[in-house]
Amino acid sequence: MIAFTDIVGMDLAKQALMLLAVDPSLGGVVIPSAVGSGKSTLARAFADILPEGTPFVELPLNVTEDRLIGGVDLEATLATGQRVVQHGVLSRAHKGVLYVDSLSLLDSSAVSHVMDAMSRGVVLVEREGLSEVHPADFMLVGTYDPSDGEVRMGLLDRIGIIVPFATQNDYRARKKIVSVVLGERYSEDTQDELRMLRGLIEAAREQLSHVSMTKEQIKGLIQTAISLGVEGNRVDIFTIRCAIASAALAQRTEVDDEDLKLAVKLVLVPRATRMPEREATEEEMQAPDEAPPEEEAPETEDENAPPDEPDADADEEQEETPDMIEELMMDAMETELPDNILNISLASKKKAKSGSRGEALNNRRGRFVRAQEGEMKSGKVALIPTLISAAPWQKTRKADKAKKGIKTGALVINKEDVKIKKFRDKSGTLFIFMVDASGSMALNRMRQAKGAVASLLQNAYVHRDQVALISFRGKQAQVLLPPSQSVDRAKRELDVLPTGGGTPLASALITAWETAKQARTKGITQIMFVLITDGRGNIPLAAAYEPNAEKAPKEELEKEIEAIALTIQADGVASIVVDTQMNYLSRGEAPKLAQKLGGRYFYLPNAKAEQIVEAALS
Amino acid sequence: MTQTVKAAKKSSSSKAAAPAKAVAPAKAKATAPAKVKATPEAKAAPVKKASSKKKSALAFPFTAIVGQEEMKLSLILNIIDPRIGGVLVMGHRGTGKSTTVRALAEVLPLIPRVKDDIYNRTVEQYVEAEGGKKGAPAINPEEVKTEMIPVPVVDLPLGATEDRVCGTIDIEKALTSGVKAFEPGLLAQSNRGFLYIDEVNLLDDHLVDVLLDVAASGKNVVEREGISIRHPARFVLVGSGNPEEGELRPQLLDRFGLHARIITINDVAKRVEIVKRRREYDEDPEAYIKKVTRDQQKLQKKIVAAQELLPQVTMDDKVLTDIARLCMSLGIDGHRGELTITRTAHAFAALQGKTTVTMAHVKEVAGLCLRHRLRKDPLETVDAGEKIERELAKVLGEGEAAA
Repeated sequence: MIAFTDIVGMDLAKQALMLLAVDPSLGGVVIPSAVGSGKSTLARAFADILPEGTPFVELPLNVTEDRLIGGVDLEATLATGQRVVQHGVLSRAHKGVLYVDSLSLLDSSAVSHVMDAMSRGVVLVEREGLSEVHPADFMLVGTYDPSDGEVRMGLLDRIGIIVPFATQNDYRARKKIVSVVLGERYSEDTQDELRMLRGLIEAAREQLSHVSMTKEQIKGLIQTAISLGVEGNRVDIFTIRCAIASAALAQRTEVDDEDLKLAVKLVLVPRATRMPEREATEEEMQAPDEAPPEEEAPETEDENAPPDEPDADADEEQEETPDMIEELMMDAMETELPDNILNISLASKKKAKSGSRGEALNNRRGRFVRAQEGEMKSGKVALIPTLISAAPWQKTRKADKAKKGIKTGALVINKEDVKIKKFRDKSGTLFIFMVDASGSMALNRMRQAKGAVASLLQNAYVHRDQVALISFRGKQAQVLLPPSQSVDRAKRELDVLPTGGGTPLASALITAWETAKQARTKGITQIMFVLITDGRGNIPLAAAYEPNAEKAPKEELEKEIEAIALTIQADGVASIVVDTQMNYLSRGEAPKLAQKLGGRYFYLPNAKAEQIVEAALS
Repeated sequence: MTQTVKAAKKSSSSKAAAPAKAVAPAKAKATAPAKVKATPEAKAAPVKKASSKKKSALAFPFTAIVGQEEMKLSLILNIIDPRIGGVLVMGHRGTGKSTTVRALAEVLPLIPRVKDDIYNRTVEQYVEAEGGKKGAPAINPEEVKTEMIPVPVVDLPLGATEDRVCGTIDIEKALTSGVKAFEPGLLAQSNRGFLYIDEVNLLDDHLVDVLLDVAASGKNVVEREGISIRHPARFVLVGSGNPEEGELRPQLLDRFGLHARIITINDVAKRVEIVKRRREYDEDPEAYIKKVTRDQQKLQKKIVAAQELLPQVTMDDKVLTDIARLCMSLGIDGHRGELTITRTAHAFAALQGKTTVTMAHVKEVAGLCLRHRLRKDPLETVDAGEKIERELAKVLGEGEAAA
């Protein structure tokens, strides 16, 4: 074990963990970072700075529902003749830390249970004849590699601090890391340092209730949250708590500018959905422009500022908020905002390494989650749970049978005892739409794609299908919608979409393939590419990072696309190509592409959404 | 690993009290005294006391919730008339959806039930069910003792298993005494009350099936170990969730009477107020609740008054015609739309202290009632609420022209 104080670099993450130690009601800390950056070492070392005896529970990714929530320990119950209750992982982390490594790979049902426990502070156990409330007020510390995929926003919303994505440590830091790893552990110095740190945190905890914050400061933070388009009110409270914890850690009684900046950096910026503008007009400050129009139902308007007087409102707010604070917020944001803020990315989109990891996790597909009642022929029988569920009734059943004069064997097993293994089935298909948004026909194609995506999603719950959407235009392709089942989200992404420009077909194929690989790590194995294009790529892959590369010879372009297409085919991804080019203009690129992908080809120059769906499902 | 043992020495008074029944319902776990004991396996580990009792945790008060009027109104209307069919609250994260639903319990009125009845039955229901049993003596309704209880609000967590939702045989009883006793589930507890599911769009399919079945019939039937239990399970279904997390099954969507949408408040003053109240509450929950007691009582009284007024509320046939025309012009299948609007408008009029439903009342609730019933068109760009407004304006216009 490497001690907290011996870890080099990742200062922001360390600071975040210290703030959490000071105020556990911040909910938790999420640390996105690349493989091998030491994020999990740091997270595990978090226990060092907490008061002794604080539980530190690690949540394994393959946790079953009963382990997570708790339930009746049937074996012990049978052995003792008394009901033995086993607390789940969530409850064992009560008043302590629940640590999840690779948070983005956690099964979605497990995520839901964690979320639920976090919002209640308890676990409701309503399982197997048991109805109990177990305390589960814990801090969640999660680390993950963004190239494995996103963490669900609902979960992030309950975690106060999201550390900005950390890039690799520099050379000097690395050297020091190596020497620490190889060196003596827990030397005396380290012990002293840890003791001091614990004392500091202890003192800060006591200081917490003495820290005050002005109304202007609170207003400033909220204003910042609004201008960054942060959703919900929970985050407002986290921001304030973070600023106060920061002041407490510095043994101050008043929140100062640095505290506010830190709160903006750790709580608000990672959740930004839009870029604030320094000279924001009143309307921009007030209008919730991230909300799609359909969410502003007329009935809901009265809860917001009346539409006819937002200007007046904003003016007022601006007068009340001292310029100084606003300036400060803007400073904090400008220095911290990532370039592509709309990807909410906690992270640079790193390319997933092809190979081992994805494959290994693939085998987890259809992971056993629980044994559930069911027909014997409808699935795999879970033998032990079946026997266990039959066991308690043996006495009464044998008595019943004896009364009727029926002889019984050693065990009386009824139909209702039979438990079937329930797997987390991701048997649905992921449809990855790649839509050519270049050129003049783009609008039409986008409309078709939108329709097709939406109507596939209408039925998504039945088949557990998901849809992702990639548009390509200009220099490179862009994931508009990561794999999702949500019609609302799809609509929101699709409603604002630029069109025109070159056709980076190769980039689209690569991006789609990466999305596919990510999905596989989450257990989705059936993947279909739906490519809506005329098949005429004219921008090479290199264009994304080298402007001069834009003009490449036609043969090279073709070779590049062919190589990618063949790789995708070899990888076992099914594809269809929907050709939208008018007949007289077609030079046969699209059918050629379909052939290279090993996919089917549809010529639908005026395709309606339904036709595309039919083609994809056929 | 910490394990706790819940001793089997539960008070068996309630079971003993009903010897005539073939199957004695086990007393609800919540009231059973829990005894904590270490098992042999857990002896080495420190034994933590499990709070296995259901404590009535303090909840942020309903009347202190800022904004989100649509959701609050929907819930109140459902208290006034539970036949409206519940409410689905969908919207942004962290906007107080579950806080609001959980706050509901404190403003709910009291209802009478048969004393200690685990199904919360009225005297009539009790007499009908228990008196009609084979070999059971006739029950004189006047001898049945009753008590007043707050309308129950039952939380159905996502991880609930089917046996806890529907009820099952008490395994402990079976083990210790070989007696088959029915242990009621969440559906029994929620009879005549509210059943709340947070993240309803993530609920497992098999539980959705159970809910649909019970919601349609109003009865829960459990067959296990050769016994058959049938009990009333009529509840107001309240669900909440974030649409970005996933879609709701259409059959379940259709079950909800009302659909409230909730979005992030973008008014600074309001958001500051929310934060202010929340912090004040967090500092000293009891003191804060005390501070708003009068508001809470006022609301409760208003709801009770509306409930009492409801039977006197009438609606002109012309209004009914307009409602039907509205639903037709929106192309809504079935008649649940009309029915819901009618009931909701009645409740809304009662809440306003009015005894006649007018189109003004209908206008206020039409969006809530119909939003989720419009046929979905993937290419539709107009919001459902807007569409309803538009058609409503047409219907109203025609009505005026005719008059």
